[in-house]
Amino acid sequence: MNWTWFHKLGSPKWFFLWSKSYALPLFFLGSVALVVGLIWGLAFTPADYLQGNSFRIIYIHVPVAILAQSCYLGLGFSGLIFLIWQMKIAPIFIQSIAPIGAVMALIALVSGAVWGKPTWGTWWVWDARLTSVLVLFLLYMGIIGLKNALDDVALANKSVAVIGAVGLINLPIIKYSVIWWNTLHQGATFTLTEKPAMAAEMWIPLLISVIGMYCLVASLVLWRMQSIILEREHRSNWVKQEVMNNGF
Amino acid sequence: MQSPAFLTISDLWIERGERVLCKGLNFNVSVGEIVRVLGDNGAGKSSLLKVIAGVIPSLEGCIYYFGQDITQDHSRLQQDTLYIGHLSGVKNMLTVEENLRWHCPDVTTDKLHSTLSILGLLPLLSTSIKSLSAGQVRRVALSRLWIQRKKLWLLDEPFVSLDAEGVAILESHMKQHVVAGGVVILTTHQALTSIHSRDIDLLS
Amino acid sequence: MTYTSFLKSECLVLWRRKYDIFNALLFFIMVVVLFPLGVNASPEFLAPAAGGIIWCAAVLAILMSIESMFKEDYSDGSLEQLVVSGLSLPLLVLIKISLQWVAVIFPLLVMMPLLSEMLYLSSGIFWVLVVTLIIGTPSLFLIGAIGSALTVSIKQGGVLLMLLILPFYLPVIIFATSAIQTAQSGLPYSGLLALLLAISLLFLVVSPFMTAISIKASVN
Repeated sequence: MNWTWFHKLGSPKWFFLWSKSYALPLFFLGSVALVVGLIWGLAFTPADYLQGNSFRIIYIHVPVAILAQSCYLGLGFSGLIFLIWQMKIAPIFIQSIAPIGAVMALIALVSGAVWGKPTWGTWWVWDARLTSVLVLFLLYMGIIGLKNALDDVALANKSVAVIGAVGLINLPIIKYSVIWWNTLHQGATFTLTEKPAMAAEMWIPLLISVIGMYCLVASLVLWRMQSIILEREHRSNWVKQEVMNNGF
Repeated sequence: MQSPAFLTISDLWIERGERVLCKGLNFNVSVGEIVRVLGDNGAGKSSLLKVIAGVIPSLEGCIYYFGQDITQDHSRLQQDTLYIGHLSGVKNMLTVEENLRWHCPDVTTDKLHSTLSILGLLPLLSTSIKSLSAGQVRRVALSRLWIQRKKLWLLDEPFVSLDAEGVAILESHMKQHVVAGGVVILTTHQALTSIHSRDIDLLS
Repeated sequence: MTYTSFLKSECLVLWRRKYDIFNALLFFIMVVVLFPLGVNASPEFLAPAAGGIIWCAAVLAILMSIESMFKEDYSDGSLEQLVVSGLSLPLLVLIKISLQWVAVIFPLLVMMPLLSEMLYLSSGIFWVLVVTLIIGTPSLFLIGAIGSALTVSIKQGGVLLMLLILPFYLPVIIFATSAIQTAQSGLPYSGLLALLLAISLLFLVVSPFMTAISIKASVN
C-alpha cells in the first residue's frame, strides 16, 4: 500500500492546500442535509405514540450526542498518532476539534434536559447517557483548560495528545461503568449492525441530520485548522504567497 | 580510515516554541577537547546542550557518538555524560551527602570527603541543601564532576554564582579532565582564564 | 544514579515530607466527618453511604498528595537529571508512584477501622472496603501521575489537575462503591473487584510510559 498520502498529511502546508477546496462544499452539503433532516423530522414525521411530539428533539439531540463522541474519538486517535509518529498536523486537529466537541456535548446536555422535562418530568435525570455526556463535556473542558494554561506550544501539543490518548483508552471504561451504574435508560437509538426498531419515516430524517451534522462539523474543523495553520506558519513563504494570491 | 570523532553533530536543527534556533549546525568534538559554545542571549546555547544531553529532541539532524547514531536513543551517550544545567539537580530536602550518594551511590567515603574538602563543603556534609547559599548549592552540584567518572561533561553556565576561587578550582579540574581523555562542552559568558578552548559560535 | 540509589533518595524525601502526607490524611478525616454533620448522622443513612463517603474522601486526599508529586523535582532540576540519567524513565516513574502509593495508602488503611466504626460499617463489609482500597487506589495514583506530570510547569495547576483527572477516576469510584454496596446487599461482588484490578493493571502498563512522555515534554 502506498503511504505517501499519510506522510503528506503530516505537513501543515500540504494539508492546507489539500483541504482548501473541501471546507466550503462540505459546509453547504452539511447545512442542506441538516436543514432537510430537521424540517422533515420536526414537521413531517408522525408523532411518537408514547412520547407525543416531544420525541422530535432527537433530531437535534442524537446528532450532537453522536458528534460529541465522534469528535472525542478523533481527538484521541490523533493524540495517539501524534505520540507515535510526531505528525505535526495532529495537535492542530486536536486544538481545532476540542471546542467544537465541547459545544456538541453542551448542546446534547441542554437538549437532553429539554427532552427530559416532558418525558421524565424533571430537567435532569441521572440517566447513563446524559451522565456520560456530562463526563465527556468535562473531559473536553479539561483538555481546553490544559491547552490554555500551557504557554509553551511544544509542551501544550504533547500534553493534549497525552491526555487525549489516555482518554481514548479510558472512555470505553467510563462509558461502560456509567451504563453499568445506571441501566435504567433507553438503548442506543442507532446500531450499525441491527435493523433499527424505529419506523423508517422516523429514522431516515434522523440519519440525514446525523450525516449533515458530520459534514458541518468536518467543515468547521477544516476551517479552524486552516486558520491555525496560517497563524502558526505566518512567517513562511508559502503563506505569504497564499495571502497575496487569494487575499484571505 | 580515520577513526570516528568522539561526538559528531550533523545538520542539527533546534526549535524552541515556534522559533528555530539552530539551522543546520555541524561540528565535531574529539577526545581531549574543551568546547565553548558562544552566542547571544536566546541564541540557543542551553538548548544545544539539552539536545546533546537528550533533555529535548532536535527538530532534525543527527548526533553520532563514536560514529554511532544516538539521535533516537540517547541512553548510550547518557551513561557516559554528566549534564549540569541551570537548575542544580540536587534535592532541597536532602543533605549534601545524601544528594551525592543519590547521584553516585558507589562513591567511597574517602573520595567523598576529599572532594568536599577541595570545594570547602566538608563542614556542610550533613547540612540540608535548603539552608545553603546559592554559591554553595552550585558547588554541591559541581562536586559531582569529581566523584562521578563520566567522559563527557555538559556544563551550562557552570561559573554562575561561583566566587573567584571556585572558578579557579573548576577550571583546573576541567584541565585535568581533558588531559585524562575527557571532553567538556560548556556555555559561559565569562572568559576562560587558564584553559584553552575551541569556540563554536551560534549566530542568532 | 542507579535504581537503588533513586529508591533510597525518594524514601528519604518522603520521610522528610511526612507532614504533607499527614496533612492529606487529616484532610481525608475532615471530609469524612463532614458527611454525618452536613447530611445525616443516623446509622440508616451512614451505613449504606459509608463506602461512597470513604472513597470520595480518599480520592480527594489522594489528588492532594499527587498534585505536588513532581513539583519540587521540577523546580530544583532533579526531574531533568532523571531524564538525562540514562536509566529507563518509565521505570523510575513507576518506582516513585509505588513509593507514593505505599506512603499514602498504608496510613489510610490504618485509620480505616476507626472510620468504618464511625460510619457504622459492619465488620464483614469492612474487609470488602479494605480490599477495594488496596486494589483500586493504585490506578488512582497511576492516572494521577500523568496529570501531575502534565501540570507540573503550571504555577496554579491544582484545580486544573482535578478537572483533568477526576473524570478518569469515575469508573474506579463507581466500581469500588458498587462492590461495597453489592456486598452490603449480600450479592456476589468478586466480578467488580476483578474490574477494579483490571483497571489498575491497565494503567500499570499505560501510565509509566505516558508519565514519562509528559515529564520529557515538561522538562525543557
